[in-house]
Formats: sequence, structure tokens, C-alpha cells
Amino acid sequence: MRVPFSYLHRQFKARVSGEKEQLLDAILTDIKEFVQTGDFTLGKKGEEFEREFASFVGARNAIGVNSGTDALFLSMKALGIGAGDEVITCAETFIATAAAIAAAGARPVFVDVNDEFTVDAALIERAITTRTKAIMPVWFTGNAPDMDAIMAIAVRHGLVLVEDSCTAINASFRGRHAGTFGAAGAFSFHPLKNLNVWSDGGMIVTDDDLLTDKLRMLRNYGLKSRDEVEIFGYNSRLDTLQAVVALRLLADVKAYTDRRIAIAKTYDQAFANIDQIEVPPRHGYIRHVFHLYMIRTENRDALLRYCQERGVEAKIHYPLPLPYQNCCKDLGYKHGDFPQTERDCRTIITLPAHPYLTNEEVDYTIETVSSFYRSERE
Amino acid sequence: MIETRRGNAGVKIPYVDIGAQNRALKKELLSAMETVLDHGNFILGQELETFEKQFAEYCGVAYAVGVNSGTDALFLSLKALGVGPGDEVITAPNSFIATASVIVAAGARPVFVDVRNDYNIDPNRIEMAITPKTKAIIPVHLTGRPADMDPIMDIAVNGDIFVIEDAAQAAGALYQDRRTGALGNIGCFSLHPLKTLNACGDGGIITTNDPEMSEKIKRLRNFGLINRDETTMWGYNSRLDSLQCATLLVKLPFLDAWNARRRANAEVYRSMLAEVVAVPQELPYEYSVYHTFVVQTEKRDALQGYLESKGIGTRVHYPLPIHLQPAAQHFGYHKGDFPECESQAERILSLPVHQGLSESQIGYVAETIKKYFKG
Repeated sequence: MRVPFSYLHRQFKARVSGEKEQLLDAILTDIKEFVQTGDFTLGKKGEEFEREFASFVGARNAIGVNSGTDALFLSMKALGIGAGDEVITCAETFIATAAAIAAAGARPVFVDVNDEFTVDAALIERAITTRTKAIMPVWFTGNAPDMDAIMAIAVRHGLVLVEDSCTAINASFRGRHAGTFGAAGAFSFHPLKNLNVWSDGGMIVTDDDLLTDKLRMLRNYGLKSRDEVEIFGYNSRLDTLQAVVALRLLADVKAYTDRRIAIAKTYDQAFANIDQIEVPPRHGYIRHVFHLYMIRTENRDALLRYCQERGVEAKIHYPLPLPYQNCCKDLGYKHGDFPQTERDCRTIITLPAHPYLTNEEVDYTIETVSSFYRSERE
Repeated sequence: MIETRRGNAGVKIPYVDIGAQNRALKKELLSAMETVLDHGNFILGQELETFEKQFAEYCGVAYAVGVNSGTDALFLSLKALGVGPGDEVITAPNSFIATASVIVAAGARPVFVDVRNDYNIDPNRIEMAITPKTKAIIPVHLTGRPADMDPIMDIAVNGDIFVIEDAAQAAGALYQDRRTGALGNIGCFSLHPLKTLNACGDGGIITTNDPEMSEKIKRLRNFGLINRDETTMWGYNSRLDSLQCATLLVKLPFLDAWNARRRANAEVYRSMLAEVVAVPQELPYEYSVYHTFVVQTEKRDALQGYLESKGIGTRVHYPLPIHLQPAAQHFGYHKGDFPECESQAERILSLPVHQGLSESQIGYVAETIKKYFKG
């Protein structure tokens, strides 16, 4: 049996909710209509998707941009974060989080993680300096950082909060949607995200109307009108074509996310019985959407090989701690600075948990992992 | 194409008609998109490589690198060349704002040089603007006409300065029988829906003969990653997606024919309008693709209003030069610094010239303009 990590092919064959039509056909019909309008850049469908996405997450405004990375970058630019500033973020995340901070001209300051792949809030305050301007917690794997503690720190120190909620569409902390806690929240619609378009794509959500105006200018060259440039800006627009795709997918995000969560629960229960596996703590007040289903195990490399040989497409997100990447060499971090992140990089494994897996495939994945540990004992 | 009949008012000729061009290719575009859906490799997929290869061949260069936009093409080129704070980059003040935005985004200072009556940077004035801080020159092939590249390259070679062509408006144009994009150290194209070669969304591509630049820009566009897990430098997310490449592969074979149509339209204007407005005259070294067909007249605003009332769409590219924009105030330029550019900004008008218009429609526009002047 092959248990694929990517689900795009299956997604296309899925049905439109409540209808007989295949999702792919429905989207292609929409695109056929759309292509004829030529309304490709900052078009009407883009505005419609922005409105619907804002209402989906419970934010006042949403601004479509070219990628989740750009969503973070533009948020910082709009908030005036740049050269000479420090932004505190999590040591365990995709490179884009730190790349966006660096692109804004600021310095990423990394803080180690807790047991749940999110920033250890207890370590944040000692990373604060006079240059610290913002905290950027990451909803890594689709899990919520400790937003109560982080909000309190931000308020206490007068720091801006920009959430990297790129992997956390439909996730929440105490009933509040990811991305809606701080000044701005960033989302990605990259093809492997929980709401996935057919190219790069991103969105910023915010309740602040002035910030919204600034972001709308920044993504479109700082243009105030067709001819007048208020501030120097960028070209970072969510393709309207992709908004057409997203409008179809948005309707089913909750149902598919529920399925993801159900699969994760099944895994959790099965792996609770395997001593060598450490399932991270789960919390009733967090809606963890399992963009990545990650567990820890001491014999990771062997398990990874074992799974891959048996068709279970397991992966590692990510094997090399971000602060030790070559791009970070000027930041002066050294091995030993982030012990929890280092432990994770050695021990984490990501199992396929997408909503299009069949129950048989979920069982097969569990059985494959279980048999690895049985064979290990023998 | 006669869009709407409005009583006796006659025809309506829109300045652009992006929909029409895509309607004509609808079947091909959709089937190309479906191929991408079949493999689901939306980012850095096979279509990108194929398009990069075909576009490099088209321009006559060794490498092409697809990125998210023409703006990003310029920005990533500057980054790849190491342009940053403390550096100066020379360019023209009459371009679209993006040309200057990228210089600012890279942390450098834009230094403007006035243009000639062909709307392109005046090579004779470049030398005076060069300082020890000058790292690059960005000549813009504005309106689809190539800038006078030979003298620019001579100046650059002598000063050890890089030349980045802003060819956003000039895909397919020729200078001394060579394609734009193959004239400087790096060429930057926009594939925005309004461009001569256009995607169904934002897109851009970089051309170069320098393998090191090509490699570096490939890393910069994808977070500095050299493989799935390792980075060598800070990078960005700026990728030309597979879906847009699929549409571009459909359109690239039509580019020369579309450009020829625009040129034929331009020729009609030129022959009919020379006595009433200033029309662009082609220089011996150039093959312009007329991204815009720009005429000049003292009565620009009145003419534009008159044409509007006759259902003819026109534009001004651009009424406020970059050095006079509110965003550029801190660079210390003033009205009067670039007299040619400033005088053009008050006189220029872009007439509809796109390949979807027939020569008879162009003739109608020209007749209407003549009627305005001759009563």
C-alpha cells in the first residue's frame, strides 16, 4: 500500500459539497468564466475572497498577497519594523518566518520551543532587548502557541504581535481563530496548506483599518490612486485566478479540517501505547489543525526509512535547526543554544494525515509504525 | 471589435481588452492548465523549466529564470549583484514606479537621468550622474522601444558598472537585430496581463548569459535553499507558478505575430497623425513593439476628454514623473530637474494599439483625432 503525503490528486476528484459535480470540474468551470473577463490583477473575485476569508477567521479585514512569506514581510513593513529592530520568533519553523524578518531589514531573535513545537513562552522575556520591536509566534504544525502568555508579554513590554499563522487555517486558541490575536496575522495558501490554491498565495488579516490601507498600498507599489505614489511599495498581489480557486475550497475547509483532526486523534490513541513514541501534549482549548502530524521518537532515522520502504510517505520538518542554517551565520548562534529544537530535529517525524486518507490507509500507517517497534524488539 | 452600439454615437474602442485576447485562446489555455492539474506540481514544476528554456531561446540568451513579477525580476537582480545600502543605481524618471521601487527596496538610492524624445534614458547624460557609489544602471525600454544600449554598455564597461535592462514593456523588441533581454548583463521582463507577452496574473522572468547570476537568482527566489533542507543565504519567495507558465507556453508562439499587429497599427497612426500630433519615429537601430503608442500634443487633456466622449479609451503613461512623486520627496529632486521628462509628462497620450484592434478601428481613432484638431 502507498500512503501519499500529498493529496492534490485526490482533492481534485472530491465532490463539491452537497453536489454531484467533481470539485475540479466546478473550479475549471469557474476559471473558464473568469479567464474571459481578463480581470486578473486585484480583481473582483479577489475582493470577494478577501471578504469571505476575513469573515471565516473573524477578522475585520483581509488583504490578499503573493505568499505567506510576503504576508509576514508586508505586515512588518506596514508596522514600521525594519533596520535596527529585533523580532523574536520561534527557533523551530520553516525558513520563511525568519526570511521575512531578515527581508524587512530586522534581526530575527530565536527562542527555543516547548514540547509542542511552538515557542516556549517562558523563555521569551529573557530574549527581549531595547531593540525588540515585535514578537512573531508561529502556529507551527497547525498548533497554537501559548497565546495567553505571549499576549501578556507583548502588552507588558509594549511589543507588536505579528502571528505567523501560515499553517493554521481554521485553528484556534480558546475559540479565537489563529492570526487574530495581534496587530496582524499571516496565512499561506501554498498547495500543501489546509486551504490550498494552485500556486503561491497568502493573506494578511487585521482589525486595524489604517494598517489595512497601508497594506493595500504596499502590496501595489504604494499607489494611492492610479498615478500617485504615496510610499515606495512592492508588487505582491494574490492572483485573482487563485481567489477563484480559493472561493470554491473555502466552503469545505472546516469539514476537511475536522477529518484531519479525527485522523490525528486515531494516531494519537494508537501511538500512546508505543513506549518509544512521544506524542506531544494536546489541549482541549486548542483546535490544532495538524497541518503536520508530528511525533518524536529516539530511533527516528530508522523509522523514517522503514516507513518509506513500506510506502508510507513520512517526512522530516525540518532536520536542520533554523538558527544553525548558513543564512543565519551572521546572527552568531551556536550548537547548544536551542536544546529543545535540536532534540526535535533529531527525533521528529511527520506522518501523512491529510483528510483524503482512507481509514485503511490510516490503519496501515499505524500498523507500519507499530511493526517497526515490534521488529526492533525482536 | 465593435463592443457596444450607443445610438448614433458609434463604436467603442477600449484602451485595453485583456478578456478578448484570452477568449480567443480559451480552449488552449484551459487545456494547458489541466495538464498542470494532472501532475499537481504547482510550484517550480516542469512547465517553469520548459518556459524558461523557450524564453531564453527566444531572447537569444543562455539562461532565463522565472519569478513572481517584473518588479521582483529587477529586485532579485539587484540583490544578486549585491546592490544595497550606500549604493546608487541610475535609471530614468519617466518609468512606471516599479523601476525605482526596487532600488529603494534593495536599500540603494535611485539616481535619475533625463530622457530623450524617444522616452528612453539619454546615454549622454548618464556619465555625469556616475559617482563612486554607482553600482548599476537600469535603462528602461519604455513604450516597447529599446533604449540606446551600445553607448550605455560602453559607459558601463568603462566604469565597471552592471547594466540591468528593464524590459518589462519590451518582450520581442529588437536593438541592432538583437532581442531586448540579451543586451545588458541581465534582462528583466514583466508578464503582467497588460504586457506584450502576458500571463493570467502576475509573473516575471530574468534573462542572462551569466551562469553565476542565473544560479544565484534561482536560490534567491526560493528562500536561498540549495536543497529541500539547506540554505546558503537569506532569500525570498518569488516563484513563477506552473499554472501561469502553462498559459505563457500557449502564448509565446503568438508573440511575434501580436507584435507585428501592434506595429501595423502603429504604422497606421504614424501615417495618419503626423500632421496633428507628434508621433514616435522609429530609429534605424530599433524594432519597437509598441507596448504603448504615445503621441504628444499641447492639448493632451482636452484631446483625451474628446476621445473619451467618442468612446475611445486612452491613457497617460505617466502623468507624474517618479522624482516628483510624494514617495520620492526625501531624495531631494525638484520640478525642473528633468525638463524633457517633465514636459513629456504634460503632453503625452497613449492611444489604443493592442493586437485585438484592426487597422480600420485604428483608422477610426486616427480620423477622430484629426477631426478634433481640424474641427
